[in-house]
Amino acid sequence: MRASFLTFAALLHATTASAASPTPSPRPDASQAVSPPDSAPPGPDGALPTAAAVAPGLLVHGAGHYALGQPRTARRLLLMEGIGLGLFLSGGLTIVFTGASRYLVAPAASASMLGFGLFSTSYLADIYGTVSNDGGAALTRYRLPATWETELGYRRIEDPQFAYRDFLVERVSRQIGPLRLSPSGFFSLRGDTARYRMESQYRLAGNVEDARPRDVSFVDVTLAFTHQRYRPEHFSRSLAELSLDTRYDLARLGPTLRGAFIELSAGYALGRTDYDLSGLTVPSDLEHLLLGRLGFGVTLRGQSAPGSEALLYYDHRHDDYVAGLKLKGIGSGVIGHFGLAARWFFTERVGVALDAQAGSAYLAGASLLFRSPARPQPPETTP
Amino acid sequence: MKPRPLLGTAVFFVLSCLRPTEERVELDLQVGRAEQGALSVKVDDGLAAVRALTDDSLVLWGSAPGFALELTASSARELRLEVQNCLPEAELGVLNGAAELTPLADTTLPTRKSWTVTLPAGSSRLALAAPDSESTEPFQFALLSDVQEAIDRVGDIYARMNEQPSVRFVLGAGDLTSNGRRDQLERFQSELERLNLPYFSTLGNHELGTQPDLFHEYFGRGNFHFRFHGVAFTLLDDASASIDPTVYDWLDDWLEQSRRDVHVVAMHIPPVDPIGVRNGSMGSRNEADKLLARLAEGRVDLTLYGHVHSYYSFDNAGIPAFISGGGGAIPERFDRIGRHFMVFTMDAKTGVTARDLVKVD
Repeated sequence: MRASFLTFAALLHATTASAASPTPSPRPDASQAVSPPDSAPPGPDGALPTAAAVAPGLLVHGAGHYALGQPRTARRLLLMEGIGLGLFLSGGLTIVFTGASRYLVAPAASASMLGFGLFSTSYLADIYGTVSNDGGAALTRYRLPATWETELGYRRIEDPQFAYRDFLVERVSRQIGPLRLSPSGFFSLRGDTARYRMESQYRLAGNVEDARPRDVSFVDVTLAFTHQRYRPEHFSRSLAELSLDTRYDLARLGPTLRGAFIELSAGYALGRTDYDLSGLTVPSDLEHLLLGRLGFGVTLRGQSAPGSEALLYYDHRHDDYVAGLKLKGIGSGVIGHFGLAARWFFTERVGVALDAQAGSAYLAGASLLFRSPARPQPPETTP
Repeated sequence: MKPRPLLGTAVFFVLSCLRPTEERVELDLQVGRAEQGALSVKVDDGLAAVRALTDDSLVLWGSAPGFALELTASSARELRLEVQNCLPEAELGVLNGAAELTPLADTTLPTRKSWTVTLPAGSSRLALAAPDSESTEPFQFALLSDVQEAIDRVGDIYARMNEQPSVRFVLGAGDLTSNGRRDQLERFQSELERLNLPYFSTLGNHELGTQPDLFHEYFGRGNFHFRFHGVAFTLLDDASASIDPTVYDWLDDWLEQSRRDVHVVAMHIPPVDPIGVRNGSMGSRNEADKLLARLAEGRVDLTLYGHVHSYYSFDNAGIPAFISGGGGAIPERFDRIGRHFMVFTMDAKTGVTARDLVKVD
């Protein structure tokens, strides 16, 4: 995982450092309103803070920000690491010493996931803060969710267990105030499998109207229904799920982290598997799933249009095409999969989505994105 | 795409592997085959592991109540053949060739038998089986898995098993050891000397802890199939929370062969954990449902699992299923089960006629 995180950090550096246009200045009060900048003067520039974030930062998250002269942000990252480690260990040890008791495993596994999320993202955030030199530009790259957005793309899935490989992906998204409805589908070009999903998200907290918010954090509740069918393997699965999905703006921890965010989700799904075997009547099976997702993301700048972002994530799902990671040692199957998702808009209306995931299967592909133009923004008023 | 993102994607993808079981399937195919100087041995279907082979001795570890083997000698010779982990009443016979057998009484262990085999030059086929192996009379077998770090106390369980007069053998659903180290496998084997029954087992994820190929060296294949008293048994290696695609082809054949028979399928990790949020199951629900659909289509009568250190009785794809991880490894708390094993009564005509949960603590 570390190698993957480091590579992701390098990608971020390449993206953020390539900002061609002059860096727009944030609104005077923007960063201060969210989190006052460290009072310490800026520290050494160049590779030292990044090196500190990568190497000693592996153990002491925030080391990069200490080297950068941002002690308060560094302390917050260190605290985040500590909380993450504590949650991870307490959840993990609960699972181990209770023999994964049916009564405790769900909260313990959730705590472990949350802990892993805080631990890993504090490390990434430290690196990000030392390589990102145009965090203020992120403020100008925010874009309200489009009223309409459509996606049409291709995914290649390599799974030795199934014959399918090539998929057409479609999605439509409609934003109505705080509510977003997103029907989507994965369709195997061989016609042997398909996945239909209807997702509705309601924003419980966070911005839905301000085109230039000071804080991009939000809390959504998601209700989704999924149906997958596997004709050659004679089964299909229907799933209902409920989850709480959050995004935390890392600018709250320090101004150097502007443009970066954490995503954390937790939920539960109830599914039913139906078997379609000729000449046999096979009762359906009920399945329960613990949902969890955590990610570290950045707002993309450079040549991209507003609304572009990248996210490196872990997803605990075991029921989708990528499912849980297979390993050669003892722990195979328990953990979910990892993914890298990016949305890059070339213009106000047109963009591309990149998608790579690794679990029981490998998935890679891209989609074209089309979205309705942003609503006209009210002119900024000068106090 | 720029070089760095491309490199990132490559690094990202090599973190996982799609076929962690591939090497073990190759090992399965090597089980029961050996060649040493003037002598070679080939056990049909890999149902016994070759533990030692010299010019004048052969030691096998049985994975099934009966099996056939072919011995090829470049010149006539006398051979001491020892079979460990066999039924106490097992007998060795000559299927073809001019080999001559003389039973030896040089061991006190009921599951260990030896013979002097006078081999002519060329190939000879022998078969090990209990006299009643082709009978279709009801019989009992036990299920025990997940011993791991409780190896010091496993003797209690074996003592209780020895009190079950009708049990013919023990089926194992893996996790015999903590990490699959050689010393742990040796210890497990030495503890088995307290058991008066053979123990036929596949491997669990804990056997993959240090050196995944050692299990095959000691106890044979992870994927195998045998028959006893008209009942088919299939043991599958899903210790990596997945079954290798090659094994699905083998499974299809075994299911087809046994479609009209009572069929028991055992593996370590349950395809779907009845406590789904725990996910003590296969890594992919899709693969799990694919497997269950095949087992249902193959008219499997009973599925047996370990991995979860408790006892669960449920149905999957309409097939009765039991999780029995009662070997003593860190138990699931608050379940009021503790160490246990199961005893099944099987009838080739009617299927599972009885099953008992035997609590040891």
